[in-house]
Amino acid sequence: MVLGLAVLFPAIYNLGIAFFDYNFTSNTWNFAGLKSFVKLWESEYFWNSFKVTLLWVIGNVSLQLVLGLSIAMALNSIVHFRGIFTGILLIPWISSFVVVAILFIWIYHPQLGVLNDILLRLRLIERPIAWLASPRLAQISLILANTWKFFPLVMITLFAGLQDVSLELVEVSKVDGANRVQTFRMVILPTILPNISTGVLLSTIWAYNSFTLPIIMTGGGPLRATEIFGLFIFKQAFDAFDFGAAAAASLVLFLQILVVIALYLRVVERE
Amino acid sequence: MPTLIASRRLRTKLLLGFIYLFLLCAAAVVIFPYLWMTMTSFKPIDEFFTYPLKWFTKNWTLEQYAGVLKDPKFLASLRNSILVSTIVTGISLLLSIPAAYGLTRLRAPGGRPILVAILSSQFFPPMIFFVPFYIILSKFHLLNTITGLVFAYLSVTLPICTWMIATTFQNIPRELEEAAKVDGCGDIRTIFEVVLRMSLPGIITAGLFAFVLAWQEYIFALLYTTTTAAQTAPVILFFFLGQHQIDYGRLMAAAVILSLPIIVPFAAMQRYFRQGRGEGGIKG
Repeated sequence: MVLGLAVLFPAIYNLGIAFFDYNFTSNTWNFAGLKSFVKLWESEYFWNSFKVTLLWVIGNVSLQLVLGLSIAMALNSIVHFRGIFTGILLIPWISSFVVVAILFIWIYHPQLGVLNDILLRLRLIERPIAWLASPRLAQISLILANTWKFFPLVMITLFAGLQDVSLELVEVSKVDGANRVQTFRMVILPTILPNISTGVLLSTIWAYNSFTLPIIMTGGGPLRATEIFGLFIFKQAFDAFDFGAAAAASLVLFLQILVVIALYLRVVERE
Repeated sequence: MPTLIASRRLRTKLLLGFIYLFLLCAAAVVIFPYLWMTMTSFKPIDEFFTYPLKWFTKNWTLEQYAGVLKDPKFLASLRNSILVSTIVTGISLLLSIPAAYGLTRLRAPGGRPILVAILSSQFFPPMIFFVPFYIILSKFHLLNTITGLVFAYLSVTLPICTWMIATTFQNIPRELEEAAKVDGCGDIRTIFEVVLRMSLPGIITAGLFAFVLAWQEYIFALLYTTTTAAQTAPVILFFFLGQHQIDYGRLMAAAVILSLPIIVPFAAMQRYFRQGRGEGGIKG
């Protein structure tokens, strides 16, 4: 009960703020209906962050899936050092967000950063690149950092599925003359499909929910190029002090995530 | 035929070699940022600005660490972090153990749906809590206090701990409890000597999880604390970053210090993660 209250109460409170005009200093509530939502609909920044978020989610999820799947399969096919490799590869996931942000700010640093240093030494680039300060590159640089942080989650989810793949079936398909790609498609893929959907849904949820890395590394800039929903809400609430708009925007975000959560729960329950 | 088999074997061996190489690269990419940070933190400050970068220094120094550990702001924030994380861990366990027990053992209606609701609550976007918590905490004059932070963190750690502990409870056969009762154990004694003792590893994992979550939490701390009275270490790191002249040496040293307490819990939790329990996660 206490538990439910601790989580539900703020959520409902949030609902209230979205539909009412709440005056913080006088503590009065005036019903505002859909005013906050209309304001959002008309705000170009809202649509900007809508677009940025979509790109952010797609970029993160696809990268994490590709990396997670290939590394999980690699882990599954080796015998030696499996534990050590798994342990090391899980490090990013347990890392503190602030520390990860600092790590990557330092690596991406235009003058003092090691990334530019390596690329310059290899003569791949001629001049240092401002990874986080250029509107074109900031989003990609952020996605790479976030993928570094989150791919272990997908990896470990898929790894668990790969261990359920029946070795006999793999052998049979080999005897039947199937090559590696065919074996993967006909035997391995169907078995790990539930794990893939779990992994994709989880990383989608985390991508939607992300906040810390972007706010520390770019603060939504340059030119709002990395202003995902989380940052938009934050700015509405604590820069513009428009609690109504912030609450309304977080409801929009929440509804999107709710769909993903519902899908996720269906997968979990089926297992 | 023999040559065919031999070439096939060679190909398999090559493939395996390639796989190891691939994993080695992946591990290197994962470790490199940390290695680089640690190396930086031991460099004297004037070597930061040499160009091209000096990768390895010959003049190892502790001046960055000395600098950061003399900073009263950082020390206070470290103390706050330790305090908040410990209190949150304690309360989380104290409340989530009975909650988990009730949800898995007592035949109360709706146990399973409640558990599922608890699981899904950890996926709620943290953004929906920003404003409500801010208003609630300010109403109770808890902004800028450790108590306020503890309340905010509990909303994250309680569901996760309850879920984790409930999963371990479910793995304890009911028969064991019944056997203990037949042997003359009271209800309370059964709970303590059978259920809790058997699920101790799971409970410890949940506790460590809560500790790590609170230790690295940053959003709530940033929003609800503005003075050194309650600011935690991650916030101070962020503050270091916001300064006009960022002192990267100190920043790296501080980040290393902040990462250290996570290593031990991580080693202990690794087994839990390796089972592929994707449900858990770090909020951020």
